Amino acid sequence: MLKDLDIDLTKSETRTLLGFIALYSILIIVILSISSFVYFNSQKDLMLQKKRQVLQEYANDFMFRLKDLHVNFDKYQFYPRDEKFNSAIFDSDKTLIFSTLNSQNIEFDEVAYTSNNQIHFINQPESYYLGAKYIVIEIPDDGIWKSAVLKEIGIYSFFMFIFMVIVGYFMSKLFIKPMKDSLHLLDRFIKDTTHELNTPISAIMQNIEMIDKDNLDDKTIKKINRIEIGAKTISNIYEDLTFLTLKNKLISQNENLNLTHIISQRAEYFKSLANSKKLSINLDLQEEVYLKCDNKKISKLIDNLLSNAIKYNKVNGSIKISLKSNYFEVIDTGIGISKENQENLFKRYTRFNTSAGGFGIGLNIVSLIAKEYNLKIDVSSELNKGTRFKVSW
Amino acid sequence: MVKKLLIAVIIFNTYSFASSYEKNCVACHNNMIVSIDKFFYRYLLKYSSEKNVKSSLAEYLKNPNKDNTIMPNAFIKRYGIKEKTTLNDDELIEAINEYWDIYKVFGKLQ
Repeated sequence: MLKDLDIDLTKSETRTLLGFIALYSILIIVILSISSFVYFNSQKDLMLQKKRQVLQEYANDFMFRLKDLHVNFDKYQFYPRDEKFNSAIFDSDKTLIFSTLNSQNIEFDEVAYTSNNQIHFINQPESYYLGAKYIVIEIPDDGIWKSAVLKEIGIYSFFMFIFMVIVGYFMSKLFIKPMKDSLHLLDRFIKDTTHELNTPISAIMQNIEMIDKDNLDDKTIKKINRIEIGAKTISNIYEDLTFLTLKNKLISQNENLNLTHIISQRAEYFKSLANSKKLSINLDLQEEVYLKCDNKKISKLIDNLLSNAIKYNKVNGSIKISLKSNYFEVIDTGIGISKENQENLFKRYTRFNTSAGGFGIGLNIVSLIAKEYNLKIDVSSELNKGTRFKVSW
Repeated sequence: MVKKLLIAVIIFNTYSFASSYEKNCVACHNNMIVSIDKFFYRYLLKYSSEKNVKSSLAEYLKNPNKDNTIMPNAFIKRYGIKEKTTLNDDELIEAINEYWDIYKVFGKLQ
């Protein structure tokens, strides 16, 4: 959807979306865990409730035999045992009197509970036969209820998770919508503006080229030069915008290009712009360096780097352009870019200095072209000293 | 004469070396219809733990009355309430401890 609008989700937006999904998933897992825990405990209580009747019967039977032992303790002292259950007796200080239990983990505050795969039932008789205030009856927990409940929880949690993820997906789309709409609006605006700029820019550029400067006085030449600079700036912006809006429809015509020739040509083109800021352009170009790519695109890449080097340079500064067999670099003496801003340098509509003009699309175009031709861009910059863009292949 | 003297010495020694419980409790209870262990199991039935049994027994012996006896009304009507103990606290505790050790359930169940 976003691609149709010529807009790609940037890294930070994707990161935000991933962050939301991660947070949302954790939230779902926490909610499901809590509800599973509550459900599991309610099912356990239900199971214990069902077992309580049987356990109470066992306790009554045991108590009857304990009473008999209490009365006849001087005659025999055999603790009452039963194959159906184990038991233990404790006095009122919870001191063990006798036990045949498998699990010794006794919770005196509970009535029925599970412990180490055993079900315990605690009964408190009215009379303490043999001093027994607490009678603990123990039967083994077969665990059938547990596996059934866990299976149930697993199935429900799975479907619930899927459902919640689908809901989350639509929620995230809702969240993105305002952002998408804003980008859509901006793109529409740029496209419309670009379209409207086409005719006047062509007319200005053609007419400036047709002017015969030899027959003009110095004052007029100065004025014409200023118009030329302005027109070139607008033309550059126009070409950038055209590139962005039509980039999916432009077919690259790749050929072996003489970079030495192209760079010196582009430097010449920007000379008038550089002169307006009293900048010196120093060229250090190795002869006969070739690169296979589209002429318009590589020119656009160089133009944007040069345009930035001029735009963000200081008055009386300099620009150095070097070309070697496997790289070229543009070094300016401008305001520089802070380290944190360097991370977002190639993001569209990113601008770090509002005093200079522009839409923040130049370096985005550079990165798009570099990506197409597998060119590596290295940026090194120091605030108030300058920036160096190195394009290698 | 020598024989009589020997018997007297044996009786005297037995009495002298008898414990506080033997001298002050068993001596009287032996003459009663209800044996002394039945009293113990009644205490156990009502008070459960060692601490509770001992403290309630001591309290009763120091101040025996109808309200703190564990025996049924019929028994009290027939035999009445016993006299207050003449033993001091140490002797009383010693006697009760021995009584507990003899009849306690702990360690006897099989």
